[in-house]
Amino acid sequence: MAKLKILEFPDPRLRTKATPVEVVDDNLRAFIGDMFETMYAAPGIGLAATQVDLHKRLLITDVTADKSEPHVLINPEILERDGVTISDEGCLSVPGYYEEVERAEHIRVRFIDRQGEAQEMEAEGLLAICIQHEMDHLDGKLFVDYLSEAKRQRIRKKLLKERRHQSAAVVL
Amino acid sequence: MAVAGAKVRAVAAEVLDAVISNGESLDTAIASHEVRISPDDRSLLRMLCYGALRRHWTLQGWVAQLLERPLQRKDRVINALLRIGLYQLNDTRIPDHAAVSQTVEAARLLRRPKLAGLINACLRRFQRDNLADISPATEEARWNHPQWLIEMFRRDWPDDWEAILCANNERAPMWLRVNSSRHDAVSYRAQLGDLAIPAETLAGVPDALRLAEPRGVDELPGFAEGDVSVQDAAAQIGARWLLGSKATRVLDACAAPGGKTGHLLEVGGEEIALTAVDSDASRVESIRGNLARIGRSATIIVADASKQSEWWDGQAFDGILLDAPCSATGVIRRHPDIKLLRRASDIERLSDLQSGLLEALWPLLLPGGRLLYATCSTLSAENEAVLGRFLASHDDAVEDDVLPNNNIRDLMRRRACGYQILPGTAGLDGFYYACLEKKVS
Repeated sequence: MAKLKILEFPDPRLRTKATPVEVVDDNLRAFIGDMFETMYAAPGIGLAATQVDLHKRLLITDVTADKSEPHVLINPEILERDGVTISDEGCLSVPGYYEEVERAEHIRVRFIDRQGEAQEMEAEGLLAICIQHEMDHLDGKLFVDYLSEAKRQRIRKKLLKERRHQSAAVVL
Repeated sequence: MAVAGAKVRAVAAEVLDAVISNGESLDTAIASHEVRISPDDRSLLRMLCYGALRRHWTLQGWVAQLLERPLQRKDRVINALLRIGLYQLNDTRIPDHAAVSQTVEAARLLRRPKLAGLINACLRRFQRDNLADISPATEEARWNHPQWLIEMFRRDWPDDWEAILCANNERAPMWLRVNSSRHDAVSYRAQLGDLAIPAETLAGVPDALRLAEPRGVDELPGFAEGDVSVQDAAAQIGARWLLGSKATRVLDACAAPGGKTGHLLEVGGEEIALTAVDSDASRVESIRGNLARIGRSATIIVADASKQSEWWDGQAFDGILLDAPCSATGVIRRHPDIKLLRRASDIERLSDLQSGLLEALWPLLLPGGRLLYATCSTLSAENEAVLGRFLASHDDAVEDDVLPNNNIRDLMRRRACGYQILPGTAGLDGFYYACLEKKVS
């Protein structure tokens, strides 16, 4: 098991459009295990493969506080969406920022599970929001893209500045 | 996706720090900060801030134990955040895992990423070492009040001080005042029942309803039209007490924000002419707002009531309500920040102010008229001591000690002069009333 490095906005690799997973094998399952370790440690409630620099259509979620409902969604597709919900979202690739984003309240999604079986699932509330947020990553999209240009630039500048400070500290 | 819920904790730490470090009032600090979080999170924000202030000295003791050395001054918001974290672990049903992870994340939101690890370590150690089981080292930590206030309660209430301190740290229920010119409390209660909002009446306080659970005022039928107002039942005793003598020309001397002003008008109807005075221009606006909502009017004057030459037309009143500025020690359960913001020296100053108001308003009362003195203080120095001095120096003043109705007898503690309601009695705020009558010479 390994904890993976999470790419941070405005890293251009976060803009990559992921390609479908061809085979679900032990190799991929080991990678999924590392993704869970990374997500729980962050701590986060969802993580897309894109964020750890694997550009395959794969995401994981667990919206519970006690790690009791892990989900693995491979090659996910949204079949139905309805309702509107607005909530504060944050992202492990945009650390420290939370902004309101509008999402579908309820979704039905088709995907392949960890064993390579095709599945369908209904989701609502936080789980539905999280799946939509992670699926955006697979298309190279971030939640800050829903904000105004000015707000996005402000966040970008602040994160770049913080990172410069961090690397300066390491050198010293 | 990152965990939401860190932001509300970060904002709670900022509110708490504004109260503890800058002496801001809790209401003001919440009002200026809560706009930054979503409306759904605002009740959690209040719960965290009120709770952390109710447990201020206990939390302070734990923080001192957990931090090996004090935080730098510039990082004091992290001290407040640590209190927010400890409060969640010890006093709420928020799962520990969520409380810890979101409080740690809040340190990053507060731009102190280097202190996130410290928060994590302190919260984990609090759980591991069962710090909550260790009995508090000081009286302050045990009772969660400042020492000077514990001493005052102990002196004034030798048999009740412990119960008072406990009641001050409880959450207060929500009380309504039904507009008696439109509904009686029993019929309004039936309307609430239809909406599955349970409420109880209180014997002796006919307009009062106590809600089983607090509600937003928007959920209350007819609130916007003035059918009902939010007011503790202890504060509802005054209007009927004063008007029981058939007063017709009535002065409400320190009227803002206008809760009792409105009640006087609801009960007195068209028969009374009411003058409402308050010295604070911005708070006078809230009197206007309150009266507009219930559809009543009064002569509203912005002035210091004790400087009669600036506002009085020379026509005496036959009823005066003096709801005097006070320490508000009877409503600590609604305003836990009072415990931090008041100083022992305030009490003497307030006592002088109260005596000065009584002195200045007495000449405005007609012979045979009555003045009802009220405070939301539970300290003798602001209540019977003020009245005792006044009665000793005014031959034309006598206490009318007959209760307005006998059903409130069990709520009231007889003092050397006047009556005290202790906080928590029948779910009421702490309140003091004394009724004076001017002798006819």
